[in-house]
Amino acid sequence: MNEPILITGMGIVSAIGLDCSETLASLRAGKTGIGALRFLKTDHCEFPVAEVQISTDEMAARLGIPEGQPRTRTQLMGIMALGQALEQAQLTDEDRAQAAFVFATTVGGMDMSEQYYLDFLHNDLHNDYISQHDCGASTEGTADYYGPFASVSTLSTACSSAANAIINGANVLRSGLHEIAVVGGSECLTKFHLNGFNSLMILDEEQCRPFDETRAGLNLGEGAAFLVIETAASAQRRGVKPIAVLEGYGNACDAYHQTASSPDGEGAFLAMKEALTDAGLQPSDINYINAHGTGTPNNDSSESQAMMRLFGDALPPVSSTKSFTGHTTSVSGSIETVICLLALQEQFLPVNLGWKHQMPDGITPVMDPTPQRPLRHVLCNSFGFGGNDSSLVLGHPHNADARLTHSAPSLAGRVGVEAPIFITAATQVSIQEGLSEAWMESPILYEEPYVRSLDVDFKQWLSPGESRRMGKLLKRALATSLTAMKVSGVEHPDAIITGTGLGCIENTEILLMHLCTEGEENCKPTPFMQSTHNTISSLVSIHTHSHGYNATYAHKEASFDCALEDAWMQLQLGRIRTALVGGHDEMTPQYFGLLRKAGYLGQPGQVAGETAVSLMLDAQPSVDALCRLSLVRRCYRPSGETIERIANEIGDVDAIVTPFISKETSPVVDILSRSGRPTLLQYKNIFGESYSAYGLGVYAAAHLLHRQMVPETMLVPGFRCPDQLERLLVMNLSGDKDYTFTLLEKA
Amino acid sequence: MEELIQDLKGKIIEVLNLEDVTPEDIENDAPLFGEGLGLDSIDALELIVMMEKEYGIKLKNPAEGKEIFKSVSVMAQFISENRTK
Repeated sequence: MNEPILITGMGIVSAIGLDCSETLASLRAGKTGIGALRFLKTDHCEFPVAEVQISTDEMAARLGIPEGQPRTRTQLMGIMALGQALEQAQLTDEDRAQAAFVFATTVGGMDMSEQYYLDFLHNDLHNDYISQHDCGASTEGTADYYGPFASVSTLSTACSSAANAIINGANVLRSGLHEIAVVGGSECLTKFHLNGFNSLMILDEEQCRPFDETRAGLNLGEGAAFLVIETAASAQRRGVKPIAVLEGYGNACDAYHQTASSPDGEGAFLAMKEALTDAGLQPSDINYINAHGTGTPNNDSSESQAMMRLFGDALPPVSSTKSFTGHTTSVSGSIETVICLLALQEQFLPVNLGWKHQMPDGITPVMDPTPQRPLRHVLCNSFGFGGNDSSLVLGHPHNADARLTHSAPSLAGRVGVEAPIFITAATQVSIQEGLSEAWMESPILYEEPYVRSLDVDFKQWLSPGESRRMGKLLKRALATSLTAMKVSGVEHPDAIITGTGLGCIENTEILLMHLCTEGEENCKPTPFMQSTHNTISSLVSIHTHSHGYNATYAHKEASFDCALEDAWMQLQLGRIRTALVGGHDEMTPQYFGLLRKAGYLGQPGQVAGETAVSLMLDAQPSVDALCRLSLVRRCYRPSGETIERIANEIGDVDAIVTPFISKETSPVVDILSRSGRPTLLQYKNIFGESYSAYGLGVYAAAHLLHRQMVPETMLVPGFRCPDQLERLLVMNLSGDKDYTFTLLEKA
Repeated sequence: MEELIQDLKGKIIEVLNLEDVTPEDIENDAPLFGEGLGLDSIDALELIVMMEKEYGIKLKNPAEGKEIFKSVSVMAQFISENRTK
């Protein structure tokens, strides 16, 4: 049995309330938050929505954020909900600085980008908001309001994002990296995704009716919700009582379609099953299921099948609280988790509003709030595009005491005794010759500030029929992924984890441009579907029929880093044995222009490139392995003490691969090179800058260790090739505050 | 009608980015989905957007597409009966 993970704080902002007590009152009174549009500026007034009932300006005023300071609705709602969770858990500044922060969003700063996009392109009126666009900016903006966290990450797997943030935080605790994690997410309504969902024809013009035979689609909602989770030892030390226990969790991929669930709900079935196994429970132990239940014909039918398959005759009461909150897309996982915790606390069943007609092939949702049996264990489902299915088991706090007496020894101290992991394949398509290591002998060196990827012939992997809707980035990602799988001989990795700062930005631009110049009619579904960050990871799963763990991180220049850390933790925990880790970002001429204005690209000496890189990680030793992956550490706004501690863990290395171009460096490099005087290496002069360029740094280092050579062009001027190449540190620095350290060793 | 059919074939190829298909490859009565051209549910949504934009026909329910997109002939018939532009 796993060590229990205690939930010691929660916060929520949604259409049914601005905190837990308002939310509870609405749930108990059967009062929905779905109604006519009030704040979002859109032509589509025919669609009911579930908006948080205060304006963006009022949120900023309540939080004391001065006018003129860039702020997005996603961030503001996030700050409001996060504050409640931190307060309930009584986290001090010191506690918070030791805690991981895992944030989920898919729209990020899109509410402002869609207002100012033409200004971004044509004038300098709103340049401040360019850097607020991506998901990682929402994470940092939300976290920084309260002060530093130990590390920050951004999950972006569409409508299962926040559930996956909770899972990631739990893995952080179980792996012993931190003892406290603050997890959840925030997502505001935007014209962008309202039109996107409309193009998929899954919005209902009436109030949604999950699991009803007459259901005709979903209503979009917005909100934010967070949990503070911690180990029992931490809670005991801080003297805080748990409000509930996170007993188990599962994530699986349906591997069926980018926007539709399979008829038998295979992914949902696997996710729920894994969550139960993880919790050490039987289906009959579950007293309530908070279903994903969007109200679309497809989801509710597929999810019904999955629940009926798993629970058989023991199906507990089920409801979809999206009939209260609307579908809050990427944050629905944490919003509905908080609702489940309120149900556990108050011992009531949240009902399924609007249900009247039985589906012939579906479940019958609960309409009576009085439970027949005490609520001890509840299950919460969240499913996203690409068949990204996650399920959480939440338990009454009394369960924690029972678990503690049975649990394994505390995980604290596990750090430092990591099992070796092997990199068995590393492939790239970038501004160097693709699917090749020719750059080691003869790199192409560019003078231009912006270069596009050198593409390979994708026809060997994709028929014209398959590729008809795919943007270039998807094809590159598939090419590197399939090549890594072939080289390593792994057909179905246990995990497919992707980092992408911007996702398929070319498609995002197409839809944004359409909205800004042609208005809200005739929006096409394909660009919307591809604009979702986890399209890339899902494509690889669908193409290879891989039903394992699937996740996508969109965290600026540390996107790949988050993906690598996730894989590394789960390999350490033994949850997975193989992981395909990718870093994929494209750059269009238009977006290059915007990021140049924002000061990220187009700097002196810098070449902006494009990245598609895939690594296969394997827990099994292999003679063909490129190298060992010995350590992954991330930290955010670290103190000198933190850097010292990490430097000690890493020990002496032969060379450090730095993110800097040429002679630039940082005090951190000085600390790391204090004892052994390692050689400093660079890779961005060869591969260029992009949000997932760090993946290329790790890729390059793996091949250096394998071939036992260092190309001349990688040597920072003033350094010579090291005498031996046994231990290589690959370092990343994102936005001057977010660090990653990856230690690779000769296999 | 023949003109509309030819017009439609060109538009289907363009909208759905069917790089390797020519209008001659699409038979008037062959199924567009499943077998035949092998289109899927996202293609159906793309065709619904195309019908609205080009012919002013607005479908409320994606399920209606099933009948309409049986073949290019059926689609042309539906468009000629319902077009507003």
